[in-house]
Amino acid sequence: MSDALVTMVLHPLPAAGEAKPWEFPVPEHGALANGFRVQRCHRPGQQVVAVEIALDAALDAEPEGLDGIATIMVHALEEGCGPYSAEEFAAELERCGATIGSRVDYIGARISMEVPASRLARALGLLAEALRAPRFAASEVERLVRNRLDEIPHELASPPRRAAKQLAAELFPASSRMSRPREGTEDTVARIDAAGVRAFYDAHLRPGTATAVVVGDLAGVELDRMLADTIGEWTRPVAPPSSTPSTTAEDTGRVVIVDRPGAVQTQLLVGRTGPDRRDPVWPALVVGTYCLGGTLTSRLDRVLREEKGYTYGVRAFAQVLRSPAAAADGAAGTSLLAISGAVDTASTAPALADMQKVLRTLAAEGLTDAERDLAVQNLVLVAPLRYETAAAVAGTLADQVEQHLPDNYQAQLYKRLAATSTTAATEAAVAAFPADGLVTVLVGDAAQIRGPVEALGMGGVSVVTS
Amino acid sequence: MGQTASHDLRAGGLTATEHRLANGLRVLLSEDHLTPVAAVCLWYDVGSRNEAAGRTGLAHLFEHLMFQGSAQVHGNGHFELVQGAGGSLNGTTSFERTNYFETMPAHQLELALWLEADRMGSLLAALDEESLQNQRDVVKNERRQRYDNVPYGTAFERLVALAYPPGHPYHHTPIGSMADLDAATLEDARTFFRANYAPNNAVLSVVGDIDPDQTLTWVEKYFGSIPAGTGKIAPRDGTLSGNIGTEIREEIREEVPARALMAAYRLPPDGTRECDAADLALTMLGSGMSSRLYNRLVRRDRTAISADFGMLRLVGAPSLGFLDVKAASGAEFAEIRGAVDAELASLGADGPSAEEMERAQARLEREWLDRLGTVAGRADELCRYAVLFGDPLLAFTAIGRILDITSTEVQDVAAARLRPDNRAALEYKPVTNSNGGTGQGQAQQEEAGQ
Repeated sequence: MSDALVTMVLHPLPAAGEAKPWEFPVPEHGALANGFRVQRCHRPGQQVVAVEIALDAALDAEPEGLDGIATIMVHALEEGCGPYSAEEFAAELERCGATIGSRVDYIGARISMEVPASRLARALGLLAEALRAPRFAASEVERLVRNRLDEIPHELASPPRRAAKQLAAELFPASSRMSRPREGTEDTVARIDAAGVRAFYDAHLRPGTATAVVVGDLAGVELDRMLADTIGEWTRPVAPPSSTPSTTAEDTGRVVIVDRPGAVQTQLLVGRTGPDRRDPVWPALVVGTYCLGGTLTSRLDRVLREEKGYTYGVRAFAQVLRSPAAAADGAAGTSLLAISGAVDTASTAPALADMQKVLRTLAAEGLTDAERDLAVQNLVLVAPLRYETAAAVAGTLADQVEQHLPDNYQAQLYKRLAATSTTAATEAAVAAFPADGLVTVLVGDAAQIRGPVEALGMGGVSVVTS
Repeated sequence: MGQTASHDLRAGGLTATEHRLANGLRVLLSEDHLTPVAAVCLWYDVGSRNEAAGRTGLAHLFEHLMFQGSAQVHGNGHFELVQGAGGSLNGTTSFERTNYFETMPAHQLELALWLEADRMGSLLAALDEESLQNQRDVVKNERRQRYDNVPYGTAFERLVALAYPPGHPYHHTPIGSMADLDAATLEDARTFFRANYAPNNAVLSVVGDIDPDQTLTWVEKYFGSIPAGTGKIAPRDGTLSGNIGTEIREEIREEVPARALMAAYRLPPDGTRECDAADLALTMLGSGMSSRLYNRLVRRDRTAISADFGMLRLVGAPSLGFLDVKAASGAEFAEIRGAVDAELASLGADGPSAEEMERAQARLEREWLDRLGTVAGRADELCRYAVLFGDPLLAFTAIGRILDITSTEVQDVAAARLRPDNRAALEYKPVTNSNGGTGQGQAQQEEAGQ
């Protein structure tokens, strides 16, 4: 290298300083008189407080033919309650500087609120009204239903969402709720009305099976009284917690193309099912998945992005779909293990061929110690940064509750990640991503990609045109 | 630090110190010991407005090249070293700046400083044709993934091109065109680096669990020997007088899932009271579920499923307001347009209510609390105000400025700016692709006199 290119004094790579101890926080437990369980965590300096409400109302609870009603119901909680009309409720929340989001999946229903600590009492009061006194006015439910019907075409037009919908339909039997869109189809959503929404609310929402997680700077906050005066006032008859059906999946290797004539890219989603967090393999699975596709220096992007330029980036991930209580029926948990990304149309088959090669090389040669070390260091050391905000801590605490994990799960996970060997990470990654046992969904231009993809011999290739 | 000028800054309970190395590098330090993390943020005063004709996208492509190694860092070493240390990192390119950031466990701060200095002082030792070719392909796939293969994905680019005239430095967006990306050469990249990537064209901030004296010693050690640059070319003047002047409306027939109305309005530049007033106006019109447009279009008229009005703050040109209305099935443009115009005109004619002011200010205050609530957010805002306004302290007083705006100021800016003759609009109409064509839309421009 010439002087003209290096104009500075070069210094050797510095050594790290001494790491400061950090642990994922252990929550403090409590319960309200109405049965609402409470977890709280004081995080000094976090002026925006996060509140997570976990409710026992998963998608499996939806009545036959009414897919989407759970999601409509949690959204309708905000559309008028107690003394507030829908517009008034939204305005009152805004006055508090509060935001609320809600969603339902195969684990449960969640309402997430964030609000500056100084207005926590007011915002909890609003949240309590939504939970205990929703109006479910016919006109508001009808509007949510029409909105939802109009949103479906937008979702289907989004390549990643269209791919996710197809993969679910491929992996799970049609009889399973997991095979169908979380927020319903045109047919099922069109059947939803206010009476049905209220019936679903009456059947499934109750404080006795709910948990509230509150995280933030709680110094000087009289949280016990605040909670007792708000969500503590919600009374409902006691009922047992729901049970979760068992899951079967069909992940024989095959390719499904969702045709998008003229698409300049192909969206890839390549996956199968795996275990939940309680499986002893989970830490090794996390390390192995990171080595395969956690970042742009992982095996997949090192080839597909940084060597070939086929993509802006592909990622491998493991996402828990179901984690039922260790129940008498022995129902096991389920996760989705997948690789996702987008490649330019002409590079579709070459990118899949390279992906197959990466997976086969991994199976044949295993991970290196250096890769394992880099992954473990990142996954463990990034924790204080990942959990800087109250919302991040609250989200993980609520996940622990919903997935029936012990309070110290996340803290212990870091110790188990650090103890994961290269061999264990390799075995977990190879078992999770077998080159011949993955369902490949491609959202792209079938006329251009079908032939080259068939030539790869990745199993049967079918084309879906809608 | 003999060659380091410094002074203390303090506002809103947050403090920072400002220093300047002899080579011109400005350094901002802010202590926060609540969590053992430290954010490093480096802003270079260069963005897509600095690009020459025929080389759109060069600033952003160059940002990718900054991660391809330098004298002491191999290919992907920057990513490996930061992530292996438990940090996170990235870079982004906008119209007016390019930023790079690492958030590290506090005990790994020195590594991030070493890495940033190494590429500022020695990038050209590693930059080669292979990296350029590879990252050009990556960026083209980024463009496809984020814009070309997404419904309505090119709306932002189209609106920007309508709001700023041809030849204006903000007429094109940072992603650039495929043709210009193909045309970029290694010599272009080298020239761009020499002109813009110098300590006197950058601001470095370090925020979090740090020892300021130690941090400044490291900054001096690693950055101090990098010579100041002399080749900086100032961006072309982006000043434009007031409003667009005539309503621009384009009908876009594309394969989109539903009708949509998207529009851009020219707004006052950032750093003015009028800009903060416009932010409040847009918030009460189109942010959240209690805004005027949401209540009107989504709740009452039921002609839309979403109605958002966002703002892009710019310093060297008029800021832009972006309206995005996704139509409900069966709704006609005339009805939506009429309702939007009525709501905007009403704010200009009568001003906001006291409750609307309270809500909009609470919302913007909350957004600032979120931004300043992480060390990375604080580091970025300190750099922003230092680079664009010369005063980092403004980051910590931004909430106060928002709360100081009066309803009259909101009314005034709405009346002056949120009018049809200051709007460039796109009306998307879905078409079905039956012949496997390119999926590219056909734009028909029409000027509507008003």
